[in-house]
Amino acid sequence: MKPLSPPSLKPEIQPRSGLAHGTDLLMRHCLPCLFVLLVTLVLSAPLNIPAQAELMPAIVQVSVFLWSVFRPSLMPSVAVFGLGMCVDLLSFEPPGVMLLIMLVVHGVGLSGRYVLARLNVFVLWLVFGIVMVFATALQWVLCSALALHLVETLPFMFECILAFGSFPVLYVIFVWTYHFIVNDANRA
Amino acid sequence: MRGQGGDRIMVMPVSIQSRQAMGKLVLPFLILVACGVILLGKADRPLIEHMRMQVADMLAPAYGLVAWPQARLRELSGNLQDIRNLEAENIRLRTENANLQHWYDVAAALADENATLKANLHWIPDEAPSYVTGRVVRDTSGLYARAVLLSINPDTNVRKDGIALDGAGLAGRVTEVGKRSARVLLITDSSSRLPVTLESSHAAAIMAGDNSGTPKIIYYPQDNMPVEGERVVTNGEIESLPAGLPVGHVHYLRPGTPVVIPAAGLEHLDILRIFNYADAVVPPDAPGRIPLPTLGRTMTLPPQFQPKRG
Repeated sequence: MKPLSPPSLKPEIQPRSGLAHGTDLLMRHCLPCLFVLLVTLVLSAPLNIPAQAELMPAIVQVSVFLWSVFRPSLMPSVAVFGLGMCVDLLSFEPPGVMLLIMLVVHGVGLSGRYVLARLNVFVLWLVFGIVMVFATALQWVLCSALALHLVETLPFMFECILAFGSFPVLYVIFVWTYHFIVNDANRA
Repeated sequence: MRGQGGDRIMVMPVSIQSRQAMGKLVLPFLILVACGVILLGKADRPLIEHMRMQVADMLAPAYGLVAWPQARLRELSGNLQDIRNLEAENIRLRTENANLQHWYDVAAALADENATLKANLHWIPDEAPSYVTGRVVRDTSGLYARAVLLSINPDTNVRKDGIALDGAGLAGRVTEVGKRSARVLLITDSSSRLPVTLESSHAAAIMAGDNSGTPKIIYYPQDNMPVEGERVVTNGEIESLPAGLPVGHVHYLRPGTPVVIPAAGLEHLDILRIFNYADAVVPPDAPGRIPLPTLGRTMTLPPQFQPKRG
């Protein structure tokens, strides 16, 4: 005998679960990581964009941070590790540094998500700025230690400012993706 | 549908507590691995470089696809710019052409006049110097910083102090001659000093190389400063170097430091001609002349001036 269940609040036609639907769901769920991967690949190509070398880590870090705060299931630690390896292989920094920084940013977002996700956007922006300052400082310290001399600080400051500045734009993209692509799948 | 994500993860039969504990350990473990990667990168740099190069090789076609339209676009914009400047360019070229036509007429008239004058004056023409042409073999980085080695045929008559010219101007002087090669000291070497004449200010000066691409002009008269852009030619002060060979033109790097931009393409010398001017001018004997004593020897008087003994 079937147990009585209350009628669904939003009676909708459910899509038939099949290969097409599964692929659709998978693609929607992979979108954040694919976006970061695409940014990495595109910005490592010789596009001759000014400040290309600093733009790539900035965008990658903002994306990792946002998804780690709001939807860590779509940006798991293992995926961040894989993306970090890709960034490392495509850049010319000392190997592993960018990977570590990405994991740290991800860890900060992940551990503080219950507080961070409830914050106002502007406060979140400020918090991200502070996180970036520390992350970039750590990156500079690591690069200097591995190069055995003090490397120039200006590119790192520039990268930090670039990440801070690109946060709003990426936040808009993130919100749009979250509402219309990722969350849509669960409503469908 | 809602709980689908949670159901799918369940693969290993582990308790919820241990799964949560493992989930919490993933990030620290990955951070440790990242530190390991950093250490590995420091310890085995070639491995990382190799991997990076392989990734770059894999992505090279894609990068090519990205670079191709960029190059086309740049070309197109360059073409458009050219088209926009076409009018101005045409006007400039027409004026320049008219100007050059004028100078051509002047030159032709002067050449005619010169020929007539020389005919009337019984001008002794300069002897055409003999020359050999050789291929530049390599830059010798030995005694001189700026010198080239020239491969020559053993039969040819190349002597020390031969003058090396390329198609555009003076390149240097032969300093050593071997059996099948000759070393040419370029005018840019720091041990090269050549007397030159500045053509429009008519000043004599010394062109001194300093191992850079542009030799300095030194010892020029202070009341007759070199003029920017004027031609620099050799002057006939030394025996083996005739007057009037083109060297380059004057350029001021900064006020007070005139340099010569060499006419010869010294950066990419390919073929050089070695001219032999050494026997062009043979000084006649001077019978009454007392040869100067060489250093370190006492002077001996000619016999008629020697004090008579006894």
